[in-house]
Amino acid sequence: MRKLLVLVLSVMVLLVFAKERIVINSYMSDPAPRKALAELVEMFQQKYPEYEVVVNTFAHEDFKVLLRTWLASPKGTADVVTWFAGERMRYFAEMGLIVPVEEVFEGSKWEDYFPEAFKSTCSYKDKIYFIPQSWYWWGVYYRKSVFEKLGIKEPKTWDEFLQVCETLKRNGIVPITIGTKFPWTAAGWFDILNLRINGLDYHIALTAGEVPYTDPKLMKVFEYWRQLIDRGYLLPNHTAYEWQEAATFLFRGQAGMYYMGQFIKDVAPAEVKDDLDFFRFPIIDPNVALYEETPIDGFMIPANAPNKKGAIVFLRFIASKEAQEKFAKDLGRLAANVEVAPPDEHARKGLDMILASAGVAQFYDRDTNPEMAEVGMNAFIEFMQNPNRIGDILKRLEAERKRIYGK
Amino acid sequence: MNPSHGRPARGFWGDLMKKRLTPYLFLAGPLALYFIWVIYPIFRTIVASFTRWDGMTRPRFVGWENFVRLFNDRYFILSLLNNFKWMIGFVILSIPLGLLFAMLMDQKYPGHRIYKSLVYLPMALSFVVIGQIWSWVLEPAGGIVNTFFRWIGLESLAKPWLSDPKIVTYSLIWAALWRQIPYAMVLFLAGLQSVDKEHVEAAIVDGANAFQRFWYVILPELRPAMVIAVTVNIIDSLRAFDIVFVMTRGGPYYSSSVMANYMYIQAFHNYRMGYGAAIAVIQFLITFGFILVYVLNVLKREERI
Amino acid sequence: MRKTLKAVFFYVFCTLIVVLWMVPLVVAFFTAFKTMDEIFMLRNFWAPPKTWTFENFKIAWTEGRMARYFVNTAIVTAASVAGTLFLSSLSAFALAWYEFKLRSLILMIFVSGMLIPFQMLLIPVYRFSVVTGLYDTLIGVILFHIAFQLGFCTFFLRNFMVTIPTSLFDAARIDGASAFRIYSKIIMPLVKPAVAALSILEFTWIWNDYLWSLILLQSDAKKTVTIGLTTLQGQWISSWNIIAAGALLAATVPVIVFLIFQRYFIQGLTLGSVKG
Repeated sequence: MRKLLVLVLSVMVLLVFAKERIVINSYMSDPAPRKALAELVEMFQQKYPEYEVVVNTFAHEDFKVLLRTWLASPKGTADVVTWFAGERMRYFAEMGLIVPVEEVFEGSKWEDYFPEAFKSTCSYKDKIYFIPQSWYWWGVYYRKSVFEKLGIKEPKTWDEFLQVCETLKRNGIVPITIGTKFPWTAAGWFDILNLRINGLDYHIALTAGEVPYTDPKLMKVFEYWRQLIDRGYLLPNHTAYEWQEAATFLFRGQAGMYYMGQFIKDVAPAEVKDDLDFFRFPIIDPNVALYEETPIDGFMIPANAPNKKGAIVFLRFIASKEAQEKFAKDLGRLAANVEVAPPDEHARKGLDMILASAGVAQFYDRDTNPEMAEVGMNAFIEFMQNPNRIGDILKRLEAERKRIYGK
Repeated sequence: MNPSHGRPARGFWGDLMKKRLTPYLFLAGPLALYFIWVIYPIFRTIVASFTRWDGMTRPRFVGWENFVRLFNDRYFILSLLNNFKWMIGFVILSIPLGLLFAMLMDQKYPGHRIYKSLVYLPMALSFVVIGQIWSWVLEPAGGIVNTFFRWIGLESLAKPWLSDPKIVTYSLIWAALWRQIPYAMVLFLAGLQSVDKEHVEAAIVDGANAFQRFWYVILPELRPAMVIAVTVNIIDSLRAFDIVFVMTRGGPYYSSSVMANYMYIQAFHNYRMGYGAAIAVIQFLITFGFILVYVLNVLKREERI
Repeated sequence: MRKTLKAVFFYVFCTLIVVLWMVPLVVAFFTAFKTMDEIFMLRNFWAPPKTWTFENFKIAWTEGRMARYFVNTAIVTAASVAGTLFLSSLSAFALAWYEFKLRSLILMIFVSGMLIPFQMLLIPVYRFSVVTGLYDTLIGVILFHIAFQLGFCTFFLRNFMVTIPTSLFDAARIDGASAFRIYSKIIMPLVKPAVAALSILEFTWIWNDYLWSLILLQSDAKKTVTIGLTTLQGQWISSWNIIAAGALLAATVPVIVFLIFQRYFIQGLTLGSVKG
C-alpha cells in the first residue's frame, strides 16, 4: 500500500513539475548553424526554465520531403519548423497547414522587429505566418589577390564584365565557375539576369506563372546568357560538379568569379577566406532599377502542433534582438532584426548593397510553384549545354506552364 | 510405422482439418503482417494513381488522366528507356561476370577466402556511400578514372562521365554493377557448392571438354541460383533509385532519370502524389510482367521434377 | 606443370579483380583522413593524405552521435532479421510442402511485394504508423522491416525447401508427426545453412536501410546509423572528409559481420547438404 502511495505521489510530482515540451524540427544540418541553434536553445531554456526544448535535425533534402508529411499528419509531432519565406511558405498557409504567428508581436508591431520590405514575403493574405531569422545576399565572388595581380577592377556594367572575363581567359583562368549538378545555381543566374533586364515586377509575374515563357522579353535573358556560353567563359563540364566542388576552382585561383550566396565563405579554406570579396552583379540596362536576390530563412508553426503556446513563446525569443544578434554574429550572416548591426565588414558591404537596391526577390525555386521550378531549372541546364535549342526549350516550358497554372 | 507421438488422424473431419488448414495456419501470421504493411499500402497507392493529390489536402478523383499524361510525358519515356538500359546492363554483365568470378574464386587455393571477402565488401556498404564514392571516382578533373587515362596518355578517354547526357546512364550502371556483380558472385558461389562433383567427373570420363562440362553439367545444376540471380537483377534494375538519386538526381536535365527517381521527384518535389502513384503502378506492372513470365516458367519446370 | 599454370592463372586474375574492385574504397579511405582544406586546395582524391588526421572520425562519431545510433541500429536490425526469418520460414514451409488451391496466388502475392517500388509505400505506411502510435518508435520500424522483407525471404527459402526430397516429408507424415514437428525438427535443420545465408543478406540490407528509418523516426535519439551519416551533410556544405569517415564507421558492422560469417554464408547457400 505504501509503495502504491509513493508511486502515485511521484507521478503527481512529475506531472506537476513536468516541463512543457517544445519540439523543433530543423534542417540546419551544417555544423556551424546547428551549433548556433543549439546555443540559442540553451539561452531560451535559461530564460524560460519551465520549457524543455528538443531539437531534431535532418539533412536538408530529406527535410523538404518530410515537412509535408509532418504538416499533413493527423497527429502533429513538431511545434516549430525551419523553412523559407516566400511562395514556399505561402503554399502551406493557403492550405491551412501552418498558423499565423501574429501573437509574437503582441504589444508591438512587425516594423519594430523586422524591415518593412520583408513583411510581404513573410505573410499570406495580410497575416504574418513566418518569423525570419537570417538572410543573405548573392553577389559575384572573386579573389582579391587574383584581381590585383591582373590589374582588374570590379566591373560595374555588362561590357566591363565581359572585358574582365576576357582578361581572365587570356591569362589561363576560367572566367566564371559554376556547379550545376543540382540545378539551383543556374537558377541564380537566370534570376539575376531577368532582374537586370526586365525588373522585379516582371520577374514576380513570371514566377507567379503569369508570363508566358515564350515571351520575347524573356528571350533577351537567354541572349545575354548566351554571350557568356558562346565565348567559352563558363567552367567546362559544370554539370558534373556540385556547387561546392565548382567553388574549389575559385579557391585555387583556377577560376575567377562565382555568382553565389554569402555562404560560400562558410566553405572557404582558412587561407582563402579573407581573400574573398564580392561585387554587385553588373548592370545591363541602366534604366532598370537595381534588384537583388535575398533568400530569407526562418521559422513557422504547423497547424497540428501539440504545443502552440510554447511555440509562440519560442518564436518571440527568436525574433528578439538578443537571439538574432547571436545567430548572425556566429555565422557572419545578416540578422532580420533591424536593431542588429552587421557582424563584420563583409556583412556590412552586403547590407549596404541591399539597402541601396530597390527591391528583393527570393530565388526562383522558392518563388515559383515547385513543379514549375523543377522543369524550369532543368531547362536552364539544358540551355547551358545546348544554347541552340533555346527556342524549343522555351516552347516546352510554356506548355508546362499552361498545364501547371492552367492559364 | 507406429503412431507413437502426435495425435493419430481422427476420422474424416480430423483428417480434413489437418490437411486443409495446416498450410493456412502457417501462413496466418506472415500474411497478416504482410497485408497490413505491404499489401494495403499498395492498394492505397493504386487508388491514389487515379487521383490528383498533393499528399496533404483531400485527393480528387481524375480517372485515367495521370496515365494518359504518362504516355505523353517525354521525361517518363526517357526514364523508362533508361530502366531498360539498366536491365540489359545488369543481366548481360552481372550474371556472366558474377558466374565467372564465382567459378574463378571457387578454387580452394590458399588465400581464396581473402579474395572473396574483399570482393564482397561493396555489398556491405549502403547505396548512399557507394554513390558518394563513385562520384569522386568519376569526377572529370580529379577523379581517378580520368587521372588514370591522362596518365597513360589516352586523353580522349577521360570523358565527363556524369555530365555528358549520352554516357551518364552507363556510368551510373557501372557504379551499380560494382555492387551487383559481387552479389551475383555470392549467389553463384553458393550454387556451385551444390553442383555434384561426381557428375562433373563422370563427364570428364565421358570425354567432355571444359565447355561441354560447363554447359551440360554445371549450368543446369546451377539453376536454383540462376533463378534467384536473374530475378534479383531484373527487379533491382527496374527499381534502381539510390545510385541515381545520390549521384545525379536524374540529371543532367533528366538524361539519367529512371522511373523510381522520376516518381520520387513528382511525388515529393512537385507534390503530385497521384501522378507519382501512377508511375509506381506502371513500374510495378512492368516488373511484374517480366517476373511473372520467368517465375511461372520456373514453377512449371519444378512440377516436372 | 599444368597445375602450377592453373595456380598462377588463379592468383593473377583474382588479384587483378580484387585490385580493380578495391580502388574506389581506397579513395574513400584516403578522403576520410584528409582535412577539408587539403581536399579543397589539392583536389587529388586518390592521393594519400599529406597529413593523416583522425579529427574526421572523432567529429563523425560525436557530431553524428554514432554511439547512440549504433545501438539503435543494432536493435532494429537484430529484431527485424530474427522476426522476418522466423515468419518467412513458416510461410515458405507452407508454400513448399502443401498443395492447396490458393498456393500460386499467395506465392505471387509474396513475390509482388518484392517488386513494389518502395517509395510509393511511404505515405500510406507513414500515415498508418502515426495513426496507430507506432510513429517514432523502434518497434514501428522493426514491424515494417519484418513485413516488408517477408516477400523476398519467403521466396528465397521456399526455393530451397522444394529441393528437399519429398520422401523425408512423407516418411515423417506416416510416422504421425504433426506439421509443426516436421517443420521444426526436420525441415528447418536442413535449411539452416540457407537461413544463415539469408540472415547475413538481410542483416546487411536492414543495417544499411535509409528510407524507412527516415520516414518512420523523428527524434534525434532514435535515429539509425545511416540517417546519422546524412545529418553530416549540410544544407550548403558537404564535408566530404567527415562523411567519408562517417561512412567508413557506419560500414564497419555489416562488413565485420560479413567477413566473420562469410564462411557460413557460402556453405549456407548450398543445396547439397541434403543428399537423399
